[in-house]
This record gives sequence, C-alpha cells and structure tokens, in this order.
Amino acid sequence: MLQSDEGKGPLELLLEESALRGTRAGERYPGCRFFGYFCSYWPEELVLAAGMEPLRLFPGPGSATPAELPSYTCSLARGTLAGALRGEYQDLAGVGFAHTCDTMQCLAGIWPETAAPGPTLMIVPPVTLRAPGAAAYFRAELQELARGLSKIGGQSAGNAELSQALELCSNIRRLAAELDELRPALPSQVIAALLRAGQVMPRREYAAALAGALTELKQMTEEAHGRQRILIAGAVLEGDSLFRLVEDLGGRVVADDTCSGYRHFAQPAGEARSDPWDELVRRYSEMPLCPCRHRSLEERPAYLAELAGSRLAQGAILVIRKYCDPHAWDAVPVAEELRSRGIRTLVLELDGAEVGGQERTRIQAFLESLSSSAGGV
Amino acid sequence: MNEQRRYLPLQSTNQLKRTMGRYYALSKYHRLWGKPLGRKLAWVTSGAPVELLRAFNIHPVYPEQYGAICSTNKATVALCQAAEGAGYSQDLCSYARSHLGSVLRPDLAPMQGLPKPDLLVACNNICGTVLKWYEALARHFNVPLLVLDTPFLPGDLTPQAKAYVLEQLKGMVSSLEQNTGRKLHEKELEKQMNQSAAITTLWRDIRRMCRARPSPLNAPDLFIQMAPIVVLRGAPEGTAYYRKLKQEVSQRVAAGQGALEQEKVRLVWDNIAVWPRLFGFFRLFSERGACFVTDTYTGGWAMEISQGDPLESLAATYTEVFLNRSPEFRARQLIELIREYNADGFVMHSNRSCKPYSLVQEVIRKKVTRETGVPGLMIEADMADPRAYAEEAVRNRVQAFLELFE
Repeated sequence: MLQSDEGKGPLELLLEESALRGTRAGERYPGCRFFGYFCSYWPEELVLAAGMEPLRLFPGPGSATPAELPSYTCSLARGTLAGALRGEYQDLAGVGFAHTCDTMQCLAGIWPETAAPGPTLMIVPPVTLRAPGAAAYFRAELQELARGLSKIGGQSAGNAELSQALELCSNIRRLAAELDELRPALPSQVIAALLRAGQVMPRREYAAALAGALTELKQMTEEAHGRQRILIAGAVLEGDSLFRLVEDLGGRVVADDTCSGYRHFAQPAGEARSDPWDELVRRYSEMPLCPCRHRSLEERPAYLAELAGSRLAQGAILVIRKYCDPHAWDAVPVAEELRSRGIRTLVLELDGAEVGGQERTRIQAFLESLSSSAGGV
Repeated sequence: MNEQRRYLPLQSTNQLKRTMGRYYALSKYHRLWGKPLGRKLAWVTSGAPVELLRAFNIHPVYPEQYGAICSTNKATVALCQAAEGAGYSQDLCSYARSHLGSVLRPDLAPMQGLPKPDLLVACNNICGTVLKWYEALARHFNVPLLVLDTPFLPGDLTPQAKAYVLEQLKGMVSSLEQNTGRKLHEKELEKQMNQSAAITTLWRDIRRMCRARPSPLNAPDLFIQMAPIVVLRGAPEGTAYYRKLKQEVSQRVAAGQGALEQEKVRLVWDNIAVWPRLFGFFRLFSERGACFVTDTYTGGWAMEISQGDPLESLAATYTEVFLNRSPEFRARQLIELIREYNADGFVMHSNRSCKPYSLVQEVIRKKVTRETGVPGLMIEADMADPRAYAEEAVRNRVQAFLELFE
C-alpha cells in the first residue's frame, strides 16, 4: 500500500510511478521488499511467488561512464551500473539477470564484483526456444531460480504461490493488452508511461490502478485525425521523449514492440497449461521474440510486419540503442521486411532514451514523407 | 630497428603456409570435388562441434578465421564499408562485417570470398553475435542453419544444461543425416574425437613449452601458429603439422633459444590479436625485450576433450569453453597462467568487436593484479578494423607500462 496516496486518482498515481522509475519504491511502499531485474525474460512471477516485488532497473538521466565498463557499452548497462555504484539499489533484496545479450551476460558478471550490495541471481533461458530439450531445460532453470529467490524472499515459491503469481501477472497482461488497444486514440507518451509503471511498482497496486485508469482513459479517447500511424520497435526505453516527439510532430504510436513497452506484457495466444511450471515455460518461450532469441529465421520480421499491418501503421521507427548489437543486427532484416510490405521504415540510433535536435529533424522528415504518401489516423 | 636480429623466425612456418594454402585451395575448389564425392561444405563458427561434422564427411570452412585473413590482407575497411552500406552498424563485430562484406562484394575480398556453403552451423558458446551473423547468412544463401545453443555458465556446468545440449546434438545428428543422406557411425565419430584430442594435445604441449625461460615463442607466433587448430581440428594434416612444430619448439627449448634475442619481461596476452597491426603492435613490446609467453585466446583451442560417450563429451566440451564462463572463471584462468608461466605482467586488448571477451576485462584486471601483484595494461583497439586503432595513444600507453619493469 502506497504511503500517503490519499486523493490521488489511479491515472495520476501511475504517471507518478512511471516518472519516478522505481527510484523511491522502498520509501513509497515500506511493506514491500523489491527485487531488481533488467530484462523482459526475467520471470517476474517467481519474484512474486517468493514474497517479493519485481522492480525493473532503468538507468537514470544523463550519461554515465563507470570505469568498470568500456566506452563501447550500451548506456543501459553503463547507467544502471553507475547507479549501483552510487548506492541507488541498496534497498533491494537482490538483483536478477536473465541471460540475453553479451552485454547483459557481462553486466551480470561484473555486478557482484562491484560495489553493488546484496545477492545476485542469474537465469539462462534457452536461446533457441523450440530446440529439442529446451522446455525441460528452461523448466529446470526456473525451478533452480525459484529456490534461490525463495531463500532471499523467505517464502517458498511453490506451486500454490506460483499459481497465484501467474494469475496476477496474467491479469496485468490482460489489462495491458486493453491499454495497448487504445493507442490510436490516446497520446503515445501516456501509454508508454503507463506500461513502464507496471515494471516499477508493486504488481497488485499496479493491477488495481491500471483497471481504474482504464475507465478514465476510455473516456479520454479521441479520434486523432490526420496523425501518422507509427510502429516503434527496439530495446529498452527508460523515458517517453521519443513517444512525445512523435506526438509533437504529428504522429501517433499505434504499435509498440520495445523491450520495456508492450512486448514486456504480451501474452502468447493459446490455452494456459494446468501445471504452473509448464505455464511459466510456455509464457516465456512463446512471448513475442526479442532479437536475442531464436525460434525460426523469419519469425520476428514477419511478426513485426503483421503487427504493423494489423494496426494500419504507415511507418515504422526501429530504435537501436547505441552499442546494442542484437537490435542493430535485427534492424536489417526487419527493415527489409517492413519495406517489402510497403511500410516506410526509419532506423534511428539513440544513445539512451532521450531524443534531441538531430532526432527531431529526422523524425519530422520521416513523418512528412508519410503524410505525402497517405492519410493519417 | 633491426627486427631480424631481435626476433627468431620459425622454420616450420613454410610448412604452415603450405598446409593452410592446401586447405584454402581445397575449400575454394570444393565445387569441383565436393559434389562428386558427396561431401557438403559448411560454414561453421569457431566453437562449433566440428568432430560431428567431420563424422558426416562435411568440409568445414571458418568465416571467423577468414575475418582475420581479411584484416591481415588490409581488406577489412572496404569490406566493412560494403556491409555498413547494406545497413549493418559500424559497431557490430568486424569479423562479421568484413565477412558479410565479402559475401556482398567478393571482388573486394581475399580469394574472392569463401566458397558458398551448403549449410551453416553456429554454436553460441563464444558470443551471441554468431547467431545473428549466421541468421543473416542463412537468409542470404537460403541454406539450412543448424544452431547449437550452449547455455552460458555462471558457475559450473549444470546437469540441465548438459542434458539440453545433448538433446540438441541428437537433433543435430538427425538433421545432418537428413542433409547429407548418410547415417552417423559412432565409430567414425569416436575416430574424429580421438583425432581432435590428438591435435589439441599437441597444441597444448607446444604452448606449455613456453613456460621455459626464455620462451621459445612470442604472441605473434602463437597467433600465426593457431591457424591449423582452428580449421584443421581433427584433420590428420593439422596433426602432422603440429608434430613438426613441436619438434622445432622442443629444440629451441633444449638449446635455450628464445623467440626474442633477449627476453627481459614475460607477459600474458588477453583477447584476440590486433590483426591489422599484428607485427607492428607486438614490436612495441619485443623491441624492449617484452615477450608474450602465453595468452588466453589461442589457449581456447587447447581445451581438454571430455571423456565418455562421444555426444556427451561434445556437449560438455563445447559448453565449458572459457568464453562461455563467468569473469570469476576467467580471472582464475589468467591468474593460473601468470603463475604457471612466471609472468611479470599482462596486457588486455579491450576489443570493440568482442563484447563478451572485453566488457568484463576491467573487473578481471583488478582482481588478477590484486591476487598476483603483477600489473596489467588495457589497450583499446579492434581485432580486425584498423579504424579503431590509435597508434600514438597505444604507443604511449605501452611505453609507460613497460617502464614499470625497468
């Protein structure tokens, strides 16, 4: 329960949490123990089942250059490590890494060797998610992680606890999907902020607030005539300035496949499994692919093209965080696929999540090129 | 500088050139002999289980080594630019960019590029990049891509990781049987494993001779002499070559001959070579009597082949490679090398193209210095792209470092 939340509407609360990015979580929710994590493949359900609250770690504003990492490391790794060295995560019960890219692999190794206090856990999900033996391996990894989290959380993450956590997360994902559907009729930066809030605050509070906010948001929806419909895909975006800029320049983000955006919440189609561990494996094996995972050669480009098509996107912005190899690799086939389907595509390299003058010029020109070719929302 | 006087060239190098020349000629003209003999050609990552491919009579070709060849042939910049022009970021691995450049622009490439593959085999035990690189190749050539996912090991090899890799290897056997039309004969796989163990043991023995003072080999020797262990692992001609090399290196040790005329400082190297400046860079050290007596990179091919059932052995061997391990493991490895080879210091190449190797180096550097008391230098460059090499800055840092030993 949030300290002193009287008088705040759910929407206001979520926007506030989003702006804080979890920096004051311990102080705002003194009854909760937060466990930090980085990536959408980190199974939040297990943190909840172990009696803690998952808190996604985002870098703070400005550039950071911790001596432990070379300059050619992405700002997500540099910024969070700098935060740890400044003692910003001291209140966390621990920090967890899901193995994804080479940089995360390295950060997971560096983290316990630096000033960051508290235990560090790592799970290594399969990369080739449908390979022979992948599901059994993933299940065993998840169960091993559950044992580690249970020790830290002081609560055994057993079947009953996991089932409850799955239900809560599934509810949140359903609400997030509802929010995602409202994109064409709501300002882009609001949706981005509301989704980020769901990664930095206690999950029950988030579910309740989001359910309340949705009622409010549905009343706020407004047809946005003439706006250019955009898909944004890429890695973590810890701020909303790109979404705001698109909006300011006359666009509207109608589809989002960023690591910290809707992809984090996307629930795979199909029936849930009765065994909670199987269900956990299913969710993380079948969620939309990030470039670090492999199911088949063409799945991710085709998925993004279909997503763009289903939302009637006229253009796509593929965001590459500087030094983020997996997204830089995927930008080539994804752009090719989108363009082959008539969706104009801009590959935009950003150092962090903040956009500046250069990006404004490029996005403005991009949106203008769309408006000259077709109508907007 | 009279380099001839200071540096002792290896007589075996002529045979190395012949051995490697034959391998690349066979690869280049594979289309002439491969099809009649029913032998497929695969492009494979350096950490892929080549023994299994050889058991299917597949001819392996290594784009990573080709990336190094492009660099020593000064072709990297033009090839990388070709890849960058196709949308690949300049921050991506320079081996991958130059190789993709050679696919797009064979006219700019050494040997007019590598012969086209019938299939691609990638194992992610060295980095995540190889998966993306091989995905790009599979799209381009429209040939089968076989991926072996070897989970990163934060600690020791777990039973679930081993079982997972084993299951995939079984799946790979089925795919290869289908692809080649041959059945796997366990005896053939065992033979390949034994041949692989033989060449790996020779390479390990040669490297260990560098514990002698003076060291019979220096880092440029190790980097040049590693070529067969990469592409001819398990091939009899590779083993034959290393027997000859071992003999020459043994003679050097017996005669007290060092790679340098006067070895004053013994160093350990960490990371891939700076290929575009291989000799120029190491000369900064050798001209001051500093010899690299061992390194972590070429040592990666001196791994022990695990015992037991062949597929289980492959699963363990290829999952436990050093680049698939924690910084703690890597630091311990470096500490052991420093002690075993009586090194006075170590040099780390912070290699912009290889994040899994490089991003943890500063933490390792501090730990190793703390535990051994020997100093470590960090140099930032790139394994293949000369555009990332700042000559003066490197020279100044090397000089300042070597002054520590005067």
